[in-house]
Amino acid sequence: MINRRGALALALTGTLALAACGGKTPEKGSGPVKITVWSWKPASDGLAAVAKDFEQTHPGIKVDVQAVGNPAIWDKITIGMAAGGKGLADVLHIGVDYLPGYMDKFPGGLADLRKLGADKYKDAFAKGLWPTVTGKDGGVYAMPWEVNPVGFFYRADLFEKAGIDPEKIQTWDDAIEAGKTLKEKTGAFLIGLNKPAAGSADMDFFQSLLQQQGAFYFNQQGEVTLSSPPAVQAMTLIKKMNDAGIVADTSGENTAKQLISGGKLAVLPWAAWAVSYIPEMRPEQKGLWRVMQPPTVTAGGKRTAIVNSTHLSISGTSPHQAEAFAFVEYALTKPEVVTKAFKEGGVFPALTEAYSDPAFAAPQPYFGDQPALKTFVDALAEGADATYYSGDYARALKIASDAQTSVLLKGADPAAALTEAATLLTQQTNRKLAG
Amino acid sequence: MTLTLSRPGRTTVPRRPFVTRRTVPYLLVLPALLGFMVFKAYPILAAMYISLTTGAGAARSFVGLDNYVRLVNDPLFWTSLWNTGLILVVQVPIMLLLALLLALGLNSSLVRLRGLWRLGVFMPSLTGLVAYGVMFSVILRKDAGLLNWLLSLFGVEPIDWLGSPFWARIAIVIALTWHYTGYNAVIYLAGLQSIPKDLYEAAMVDGAGPARRFWSITVPQLRPILLLTVVLSTIGTLQLFDEPFVLTGGGPDNSTLTISLYLYQNGFRYFDFGYAAAIAYALTLIVAGFGIAQMRMQKR
Repeated sequence: MINRRGALALALTGTLALAACGGKTPEKGSGPVKITVWSWKPASDGLAAVAKDFEQTHPGIKVDVQAVGNPAIWDKITIGMAAGGKGLADVLHIGVDYLPGYMDKFPGGLADLRKLGADKYKDAFAKGLWPTVTGKDGGVYAMPWEVNPVGFFYRADLFEKAGIDPEKIQTWDDAIEAGKTLKEKTGAFLIGLNKPAAGSADMDFFQSLLQQQGAFYFNQQGEVTLSSPPAVQAMTLIKKMNDAGIVADTSGENTAKQLISGGKLAVLPWAAWAVSYIPEMRPEQKGLWRVMQPPTVTAGGKRTAIVNSTHLSISGTSPHQAEAFAFVEYALTKPEVVTKAFKEGGVFPALTEAYSDPAFAAPQPYFGDQPALKTFVDALAEGADATYYSGDYARALKIASDAQTSVLLKGADPAAALTEAATLLTQQTNRKLAG
Repeated sequence: MTLTLSRPGRTTVPRRPFVTRRTVPYLLVLPALLGFMVFKAYPILAAMYISLTTGAGAARSFVGLDNYVRLVNDPLFWTSLWNTGLILVVQVPIMLLLALLLALGLNSSLVRLRGLWRLGVFMPSLTGLVAYGVMFSVILRKDAGLLNWLLSLFGVEPIDWLGSPFWARIAIVIALTWHYTGYNAVIYLAGLQSIPKDLYEAAMVDGAGPARRFWSITVPQLRPILLLTVVLSTIGTLQLFDEPFVLTGGGPDNSTLTISLYLYQNGFRYFDFGYAAAIAYALTLIVAGFGIAQMRMQKR
């Protein structure tokens, strides 16, 4: 009982108690300036590798890269920010899903990088990213590091067995028809979703269908668009797939992995990180997988969607902002450094200039000698629309996930479920419903 | 403390001494009181204020009772209340009954190696949150889990413990019962040992059997202890957080979303500290209500 009460008391008082404790004091005097970086594995490995090179060229600065872990890092940052920045690292690795929350709810928590010269890199990164690091006040609160455009990984052998030419799949409706044939001929499901959202929400697929249409849960004005026509369209597609019996339920630990092993999943609508993840996970399926850009929602529509991206921010209370920015600038804006971090930490870079590295056009034996990374570089060249996560993304994700679960498991009508969800979201966040 | 105590017989000090019979008790409770003020009273009052505001840090603004109005209209809050209530009603009686049976067994003079058994019963209470979570996620796995393997020996189909809304609640009940039964059993054991032996001896002389002795001596003598554990367990389960946090994250389909977990999500996931504080106060009211009701019932 004490434990549970303790946990609650901590949840209630943590922020307050921490506010009373002393934070770190800026060290004075000579000697190298030490900056700390919070990240998580494996990205932190990439960052640690380039930090060593940085220390060589910048003898006055020592960089300590700490793998705090994801999701633990979000609680650490939240507590630090609530305590007025005490105890925070100088450089923070922040996902796009959390960044707007920190920007909105903790003004001054993150440094405005414009004053350090970040503005000149405005066009250096993949399209659609800069708006997500820009605050309502026009300030720049992070520099893009990692970008994950969505892909369509498919089992070439299963498609062949079912007599389907993947090149002919232009829209998701085509994909549904193909999925039916696949199920019939091979017994494989088209895709898998964690239908009851056990453990965590599984909304990347729904979101990518929205993003392909240039839409999201919120628009640029911060109004709720969760029940907009694109959202209803996306949810209707998912319902159609589910009703056709071509969506596997991947809830439960390792369920997805086992389905993949057994050849029961024909398509993985995963993002760029999967280029290195799938070979690691299923080395024995070498040569069976291919990747292409996903089909469009509407005929002739856009294929590209940036599923997520991660960024480096600088604490607003860091006493060494200039040194911290020197490191961020070094790590994120030089093609050779970014590529090194990619090789060491598997972080698909946001820096456009980096894509000319031969690594991005190299044929990959695992993917039948297809240059798998090029698919994603091409996608980014087409250009994704900016996604407006807003400060209430975490809550919106939860509410949208509940709507998806009720559509998938309880047969709810997509439009009705999303209207209800959007109403709840407006009520809970005090936002307007987009007209 | 560097204070010298006044001794009887040396009371001829001209000025009234600081340390007297009257002040000593206050001085003795002072450290605890200070601790309470700083670590309990201040956060409690600050949370009260925060529950009337929205935003955080520089963006905080006073909104009156808005958060509470929102709470009443929030379906997820009601879901969390319902889940918590359901788990409470099912789990607390099962756990306390088990604890009582265990305590009776441990107290029996027929059992050998009692020290070892007692240690075993109490061990789960000492297990840390993370170890406990990892262990149960292994036990409860659908495909290679220990529990499903055990059930398969009896021909039971594998159960999706953490993936199905119904079974996830059962899984939480199992985990909770495992964790806290020993704690309650030890409390009962202490209670049992404080019952005077002569009561039993007298009853035996009068020809009372074991069942009669249990209902007429053990239960009435344990009444205050039973009440204590009911109140403590009720409060504990109302604040249920660890198990759903580690095992299910509140899912699937919100079936294990408890009040405390929803509170945590609002504070630390949605950065909505004002709303989280309002939930905390709602929870406090509910806990206080239950506590008072149970005390009243006992007095009758």
